[in-house]
Amino acid sequence: MEPAVTAKEGEMTVELEGSEIEYVSYGGEHHLPLIMRLVDEELSEPYSIFTYRYFVYLWPQLSFLAFHRGKCVGTIVCKMGEHRSTFRGYIAMLVVLKPYRGRGIATELVTRSIKVMMESGCEEVTLEAEVTNKGALALYGRLGFIRAKRLFRYYLNGVDAFRLKLLFPRRELHTSLQMMATKNENHEEMHLLQENFCS
Amino acid sequence: MAEKVKLPINPSIPSGEQTVWADISFLLDSACEGLRDGELIHGENFNLFAAMSALEIMDPKMDSGIVRRYYSVDEAIDSGAAPIPLSSDRTLDVQCVIDIMDHLLSCEATWHKGHSLAQTVFSCIYLLKPDRTTSHALLHSYCRVIRATCNLVVSVVSDARTNEEEDLFTMTYGLPLKGDGDEKCLSMLHAVEETIARQLRACKAPPSKRRVVEDMEPLQTNPDLEEEYCKALLCRIRFRKHFFHALTAMRRPQGRGLELARKHIASCLSELDSILKSSKFLCSNACGTCEDGLEDRTTASGCQPIGFDASLNCRLSAPTPPRAIKILSWIKGVEYFQKLLHDLDILCSYSLDPLLEGVLHFVIEFHKFQPDLVARAHLQVLLIHDGKLYGRDPVFTVISKAAALPEVLKDYEIQNEVLGQLGQLVINLLKILCTNAAWQRRKLGKILQDWRVSYMQLELGFKKEFREISSTLDENLCAKISKHILIWVEEQTYWIASRFLSLGFDLELYSPSEYCMVYWYMYVVFIRLAEKTHLKMLTSHETGKRKAKKKKDSLKDLARDYQIPPGVLLLQCHIYLAEALTMMLAALRNEHKVFTSLGPFNTELERFNQHFELLQKASIPDHMSFFSYEESTMNTRLSNPVMLNCFKDAQRIAKELRSSFSHDPEKMAELRRIEQVAEHNGVALNLICRNSSTASGDGEFWRSGSARDGVLGSPDGFRRVSIWVRSTWPTGMVKSSFDGDGDGEFFRDMKVRRDLGV
Repeated sequence: MEPAVTAKEGEMTVELEGSEIEYVSYGGEHHLPLIMRLVDEELSEPYSIFTYRYFVYLWPQLSFLAFHRGKCVGTIVCKMGEHRSTFRGYIAMLVVLKPYRGRGIATELVTRSIKVMMESGCEEVTLEAEVTNKGALALYGRLGFIRAKRLFRYYLNGVDAFRLKLLFPRRELHTSLQMMATKNENHEEMHLLQENFCS
Repeated sequence: MAEKVKLPINPSIPSGEQTVWADISFLLDSACEGLRDGELIHGENFNLFAAMSALEIMDPKMDSGIVRRYYSVDEAIDSGAAPIPLSSDRTLDVQCVIDIMDHLLSCEATWHKGHSLAQTVFSCIYLLKPDRTTSHALLHSYCRVIRATCNLVVSVVSDARTNEEEDLFTMTYGLPLKGDGDEKCLSMLHAVEETIARQLRACKAPPSKRRVVEDMEPLQTNPDLEEEYCKALLCRIRFRKHFFHALTAMRRPQGRGLELARKHIASCLSELDSILKSSKFLCSNACGTCEDGLEDRTTASGCQPIGFDASLNCRLSAPTPPRAIKILSWIKGVEYFQKLLHDLDILCSYSLDPLLEGVLHFVIEFHKFQPDLVARAHLQVLLIHDGKLYGRDPVFTVISKAAALPEVLKDYEIQNEVLGQLGQLVINLLKILCTNAAWQRRKLGKILQDWRVSYMQLELGFKKEFREISSTLDENLCAKISKHILIWVEEQTYWIASRFLSLGFDLELYSPSEYCMVYWYMYVVFIRLAEKTHLKMLTSHETGKRKAKKKKDSLKDLARDYQIPPGVLLLQCHIYLAEALTMMLAALRNEHKVFTSLGPFNTELERFNQHFELLQKASIPDHMSFFSYEESTMNTRLSNPVMLNCFKDAQRIAKELRSSFSHDPEKMAELRRIEQVAEHNGVALNLICRNSSTASGDGEFWRSGSARDGVLGSPDGFRRVSIWVRSTWPTGMVKSSFDGDGDGEFFRDMKVRRDLGV
């Protein structure tokens, strides 16, 4: 099962300063009802509590919540793992409440997750989005995702999906460039992270 | 967690011999008390991933059982959900049967469009119990023909099976798809048709003659409605009859039934017209329900049909999600069948071209009508049967013709394992070309490597093989076989690559900031394709000429009367267009910072590698990489005269080619489009250049005026600059207004204009 992804930006009904939004990494069972409520409200696909637990228990570091004055207004749920000999991140759910869209909250949530994936040694990130979800497609397009495939009638409502993919620069190239720039400061740390994950 | 409710144990699921129903709620309750939030008791082989496929009982979004009205078909029938007759009032009975027929048509169309058979056609309770309807001849015969038709369609799609995405279509587990005696459906249907036809004649006969046919019992009790009801039923029954005949005829081997099928298709279409016309009468009879129009109704009368329950099959068919699906409206259903019949008619009028090039051309043209699964499945079983083209021509014969092997060689049977594989590749290619565009593109990308490998194996294989058989065959001939086939394999490989690339436009896989690299890739692939096509033609030309001019054998003569074939020139047009578009987009990017795509996580290199990974893996073309692309575009300037010349050349050649393709309307349309794209862009390029040269300061000009509205301010007033790029190659274009504010949103008001003729 691969869950649907929705992120619609555009409408804006709440005036807020960027600094008013607080981003929090998934912190435990008390966050679960908040995530579930958001996803249930905004996405049509029915998920059992086990689906949420599958993601947030195994990859808590990839899930984030956005709060506005104590209210959870957005969330992202992801995973990563081996897929046909590549180590790949996967964005499973992305939701921002309607009145809070168009303020860059979704972009910030995605960016945070992707950064962790990158640091954890992912070679690429993928997800599916409905071909009609212009907001999400634009958001991911800006972040460098390409439309790798079209999936015929992927959703139960008969709508096609795009498989979106973001390929990170090759590790060797990336690290060697980084070595030149930062004299190998981060290299060991990143390597360690990857080992931790694999063990 | 669901609220605790004391449920009675359902007696309709009986205890077994050694089993008995027991209430374990208290056990679960006490187990739950010992658990904290997030804890899971599980067996070793049940991890969190497995837990995801768990269903939460009593959750209406997941529990199929909870939304079910009846526990079984029998229970539904006992509750009077599907009475026979439908009404003791015979007029009402006829009306209700017509509603069932109409709703079934909507269901059938919905099934063809990708929903499960269980939730659509077989939501009809009458279909689920084939023997129950025996006493109602009209309903019985109609149910039989529906089951038989579904069966026929399932078998075509199963035979054609190449596409796992459409698996749901052939899922018939647990459904009574083959009722005993359904094979006799046509004779039964015919008998019913005869009776109603006589009833129609009887009611239309003038009173003086009525006595002759007096013994005929009318269809129903209201004489004023008799004629229209007879007509409404007849067109529905005849439609089913002809549709069944058409499908049966199309399945005859080697396309022998195509001509007959066309006649039945024509009849189907005319019966569909009558069905549509009957709506007025049926609607006005079903009192007062006609006001809201027919947009959502699944019957011509607008009445809810009796005897349908989509939730009944939930238990039968595991992949059925619990939610209800939306059945197409009756109007949409009729339109679907009209479209299907038109598509099938195109198939049936196909001449079974023995040349592979012609087959490929036909298939590609056929796709432009966007045929649905059923039509595509028929195309495939027609093209490939018994491992032969049309079940008739052995694949090697097809390849020999395609590779233009000299006549003497065509009869010579070469037993070669690699050639056998090549045959399989051709069959696979044809099958893939019959699938939906999304799936097709993925598969084409994957087989590119197979074709490449096959080329290399053939090259090696030929050398070895010919050493062995050279004692029996003229060595010169061996060399010829090898040369012809190898050139053809390469040409075919590049053809697949170009199809792969252009399908990306159809599927909207490219974003404007990627157009430049896509055009560049098309450009390099087109060049190779043209080269190989030309080489193939030259080789066969040479062989032909040699034979004719054996005695003279003058190379000068050859050179003098040789002209570049129109097919190659057409490719040349595409090469010019792709080159010019690449350069234009590159220049705009280089000089005006439009189309740049600067993501925070990667660069154009990664995007290039992702889009063309499969081509690169198969070395298509050799020695072409991101760096070749970068090198050829990084310094392109708008002032470079080459791009304008390319547009001009494309336009010129397209004009010249008109006389060569005057017999082919599709090619003529393609030429017209090429001319227009070239012309429009030539003008746009001139304009952009002129404006650029008058711009004050670097990039300043592009931000001036009302650039946000896609209108450029310029010293001589408002001017809108549009460039034309192809949204599909080569069928349609995107008109894009140039919004020069440099924020990369160049394609702000992109409009697809499929027909540039307007």
